[in-house]
Amino acid sequence: MSEQVLAIQELKKTYRMGLVDVPALRGVSFNVKHGEFISIMGHSGCGKSTLMNLIGCLDRPTSGSVSLDGTNTISLDDNELANIRNKKIGFVFQMFNLLPRLNALENTELPLVYAGVHATQRKQKATEMLTKVGLGDRIHHLPRQMSGGEMQRVAIARALITDPALLLADEPTGNLDSKSEREIIAIFQKINRAGTTIVMVTHEQDIAKHTQRTVYLKDGQLLEDKPQENIIIEEQA
Amino acid sequence: MNIFESFSMAYKALTGNIMRSILTMLGVIIGVFAVITLVGLGEGAKAYVRLQITQWGTGTNYLELHPWEEGSIPLSSVSEAKLTYEDAMAIKDLDNVQYVDPRVIRAATLRYGRKQHKVPFIMGVSADYPKIYIHNPEQGRFFNEADVSQRRKVALLGKKAANELFGGLSPIGERMKINGDKFTIIGVLEEKGSMMRFDFDDLAVIPVTTAMDVFDTEDILEIGVATINERMTPVAQAEIEQLLTRRHGKKDFRVDSQEETMDMLNSIMGALTGIIGGIAAISLLVGGIGIMNIMLVSVTERIREIGIRKAIGAKRKDIFVQFLVESITISIVGGFIGLVLGVSLSLAIMKFLNLPPTVSYWSVAMALGVSIMVGVGSGVYPAMRAARLDPVDALRYE
Repeated sequence: MSEQVLAIQELKKTYRMGLVDVPALRGVSFNVKHGEFISIMGHSGCGKSTLMNLIGCLDRPTSGSVSLDGTNTISLDDNELANIRNKKIGFVFQMFNLLPRLNALENTELPLVYAGVHATQRKQKATEMLTKVGLGDRIHHLPRQMSGGEMQRVAIARALITDPALLLADEPTGNLDSKSEREIIAIFQKINRAGTTIVMVTHEQDIAKHTQRTVYLKDGQLLEDKPQENIIIEEQA
Repeated sequence: MNIFESFSMAYKALTGNIMRSILTMLGVIIGVFAVITLVGLGEGAKAYVRLQITQWGTGTNYLELHPWEEGSIPLSSVSEAKLTYEDAMAIKDLDNVQYVDPRVIRAATLRYGRKQHKVPFIMGVSADYPKIYIHNPEQGRFFNEADVSQRRKVALLGKKAANELFGGLSPIGERMKINGDKFTIIGVLEEKGSMMRFDFDDLAVIPVTTAMDVFDTEDILEIGVATINERMTPVAQAEIEQLLTRRHGKKDFRVDSQEETMDMLNSIMGALTGIIGGIAAISLLVGGIGIMNIMLVSVTERIREIGIRKAIGAKRKDIFVQFLVESITISIVGGFIGLVLGVSLSLAIMKFLNLPPTVSYWSVAMALGVSIMVGVGSGVYPAMRAARLDPVDALRYE
């Protein structure tokens, strides 16, 4: 495994709205080392989401390159991108994005379904992941039977189940109360200590201060990239 | 992802909205039900007629001649046309003819001592009668060629007629009167039942020559002919027509074959099949459109789900297969329900008609095949739309 999990170079993305070109990213470059926990900050419209989509292989840049775990994702086709999303990236969204009809276990194992893993192995791994995020006793609950914090923990279990090179979190605490917010950040710090690289988008300084480094974006460009002393939240038992 | 997982996924999605799934299936259910029931009934009707024909001995190698002039009403007595006993003897000499049975039929009263019994039919027939109708004596013997040629006054009774006159006692060797003439009873025919209101058990059978004497007639009502086999029947028919036309100097008779009965039945069934087949096709088409419609709605409702699935690694193919399998599942389950209903109804009807219950495998295979085709046909387009969704747009969709 290379030391750089993520290498972004001169990344540009321009959307075409009718006849007008709207630049969302105007050439962003930075790297993320293995084992880092960074946050990307900026006001809405600064290009955070676009950057997330490009790192997460959900979208293609207009120019520039994204190298993920040593693989340049620019030249890949749709199937190869789906494969990267499946194996190298774990997503955690603001809206949790669980499938409402599937229970916690089934939601968690879903990436392994697409990876072609056998059912018994899947269930075992998913149970293990849910236990890790503190939901070992709720594996058969449906999303609507869980609180926001619990749903987000299921989403984290789902993101981690393929042992991804990079965990991408998009405003993961945006829909949570402050208690659940602390719990989720604590889980992120714990899995980061266990070796998972995390890139988290947030617009709250309060959240960003718990990471080791913050990348500021403004108007589609890198404003500042500075390491910081992160504040560790001790997980409550 | 293997196909079994796709089906279990589809099962989950469809049971999530059972009412909608069932309503969506309805078109396919009705279509398949119509096809299966129709095919079942058609086969049943054919089997019924075939059974009727062969059970009575008059199989597919059977021909029947009636005197008939062009333009006259069949079987009417006003006709000048005649068939004679000599015609029958001439026909018997043909190579492709096996049995010949010229008939003279009258209603008459049988008398034994002081008892009397009116039978609807006294049949004057040839010695070939038991072979053609498969109606053999249960007691005693049937009359032979010699009895016929010597115009002997011998008779056999049907089971019912024998019971009326003799109760439980054996009538063999007894003498009874028909129209004042004395006959010796030489046998009792086995029980056979009725065909088209002709009661084979309430009759007396005598040699045709004797009947001509007793009823004082030279006219043969009809001549039954069994050819050597079904394949040669058309040839024999042509030969008979040629022979009689030559003997009579004109074609004053008609030859009915079972083939015509079967042809008529087949053409009726063909028309019926066409009509119900058309209804079924329309129903399946409408059913297919219904499935496509619901699948399009379903894709729109689940855009976000598609986005999530794509984000965690589902390929276009996975999404495509997921929705296609859902559509196929709807139509297969619908087809299966229609199949079960259709088979049950046709079996019930066959039981009601006392037919051997048969289900033709090809109609089952066809019903399921058509269901799969409807599912694929109506699922491809919605599945393609789902698979082509852009993950970013899909995730952002509210």
